[in-house]
Amino acid sequence: MSLRPIVTVAATGLALAALSHPAVATRIAKILGEAPRRALDAERLLALALQHLVLAGTGLALVAGLGIGLGIVATRRGAAALRPAIDGVAAAAQAVPPVVVVALALPVLGFGGPPTLLALVAYGVMPVLRGTVGALETVSREAREAAEAMGLTRRQILLSVELPLAAPGIVETLRTALVLSIATAAVGALAGAATLGTPIVAGLQNQNTVPMLQGACATAALAFLGDAAMLGLAALARISRPRT
Amino acid sequence: MRTDTGGRGPTAAVSFAWLTALAWLAALAAALIHGPVLTLAANRLVPGVPVSGGSALGPVLPAILALSALAAGLLAVSPGRRAGAAALALAVAAAGLFAGGLGHGAALRMADQPPAARAGLGAGAWLAAALLGAALGLAVRRCRQPGLGLVVVGLGLVGLVAAGRAGLFDALSLAVEYAARREAVHAAFVEHLVLAGGALGLAVPAVILLSLWRRGQDAVGIAIGGVQVVPAVALLGGLVALTGGLLRAVPPLRDLGLSALGPAPAMVGVAAYLLLPLWRGLAAALRAPDPASLDAARAMGLTDAQILARLRLPLGAPLLVGALRVAAVQGIGLATLGALVGAGGLGRIVFDGMAQFAPDLILLGAVPVVALSLVAERTLSAVEDGMRAGLPA
Repeated sequence: MSLRPIVTVAATGLALAALSHPAVATRIAKILGEAPRRALDAERLLALALQHLVLAGTGLALVAGLGIGLGIVATRRGAAALRPAIDGVAAAAQAVPPVVVVALALPVLGFGGPPTLLALVAYGVMPVLRGTVGALETVSREAREAAEAMGLTRRQILLSVELPLAAPGIVETLRTALVLSIATAAVGALAGAATLGTPIVAGLQNQNTVPMLQGACATAALAFLGDAAMLGLAALARISRPRT
Repeated sequence: MRTDTGGRGPTAAVSFAWLTALAWLAALAAALIHGPVLTLAANRLVPGVPVSGGSALGPVLPAILALSALAAGLLAVSPGRRAGAAALALAVAAAGLFAGGLGHGAALRMADQPPAARAGLGAGAWLAAALLGAALGLAVRRCRQPGLGLVVVGLGLVGLVAAGRAGLFDALSLAVEYAARREAVHAAFVEHLVLAGGALGLAVPAVILLSLWRRGQDAVGIAIGGVQVVPAVALLGGLVALTGGLLRAVPPLRDLGLSALGPAPAMVGVAAYLLLPLWRGLAAALRAPDPASLDAARAMGLTDAQILARLRLPLGAPLLVGALRVAAVQGIGLATLGALVGAGGLGRIVFDGMAQFAPDLILLGAVPVVALSLVAERTLSAVEDGMRAGLPA
């Protein structure tokens, strides 16, 4: 497959990152006619980006572990009865937007990272679970039966037939989950988590456009760069996939 | 996944159903007996003292558990419609008793308390409500009656509102909070609907126009997909800055009622996210008829417009409604963030609650958002199912 989409996405991310640089953002604000105000320096922006990445990354790791694990369980024999329940819960979970989860977790877990992490997990698990189930279902019956006929145990079939064949689909699901968790981590700024959403929220409240623009561009840059990384991973998964 | 139960035959499915029913019942009992069903606090801001269901619900508790056990047993014994209907009736009764018991229990505890004291719903109550809701959903599904879910939800809402009007929940702090802000909540609800509806109203014509631009399909697809990657908080912030710049460049726009902070940037921002589901739905709907029927239609001398009106749109209608459903649910959720840029809506109540650290105020904004999106989801998916049922297979 061609590398063009990855390059496009990565270039968009880098361009947005450049826009978030204090000097560039100040100039844009001047073009927009905003009063020149103090910008966030690059160091502070990088520190926020790192915290954002740690929060979103931890959330993604939890979501991936839970979602893929439960997805594997749900596709085992004898768990077919669980499928309508999973679909029902997934639809219900989508009805609760991340802001609402962050808000509801706030009085229980207090300010900062924990409510954001809870929102990340609550909002991300069901799509990953559904995606994993979908990816595992695309594994053909023939491939499974052939593996059985070769005398592979169930665990071997899972590890060396089903998961490798389903890998591209699972990586695709994780890509959506990563974008989702970067967006949710930005919303976490409302609950007091220090992320790239913080300058946006503070800027909106104080009518301070420069840090707001910087935060917005940097958050979007992070999302695009993360997306590009996942696209790269997906390309790798497709290359190393066994031929069927 | 195969729909059979592997090599172990039907016994595996039966024992699995019983296992699920038992686990569900155990979770419900734990939530109601040990979980904090109510929390009593001196005022609306301090954390409360938990009250377990055993003492809050009193004699109603065994009745709820007995009804639930019967419902779970019926659902486990048979997947049939009759068992489903009986289980539905039992679960509705259990849910009704639960709601009434909570209101009554709170009223008893609040009777000798000062007016500032609050009785909030505890984690146990929410968990039990979710479990009962799941059982209701399964029972409705077992009845295999299209539209039944909507009827049950509608009657449930009517029942809750009627009980609330009669004063059954007056002692619960959510009701106290609502009574204090009735007007603000109603206004926010309408604003929220306008915000989400306006965004949908912007996105639908935009997608139709974009799909008419044949040459640019690839570029449009990439742009619409790219928007999804941008976090909503960032997009809203950027739009506020851009609107501010636009207003300074073209001041007459101000006279039209446009402002940098307000519904306009929020509506545009939310609409941008709704483009992708609508775009995909429209593309899939136009491809819905198989090539053979299209060839037949052309051979009969139908024009492109006739093919669109008589073939593509009727056959693709369920897909269009499905896309509308996804977009509506997303729009209702995203509109919550509109309060961040001064657009109002239910998000404002949620954010006020966060600023005051007042859980009941947050719930007052959050519950209608969740209810709205669930109602939109259920209604539109019922329409979708109805359309699918009407199509020739």
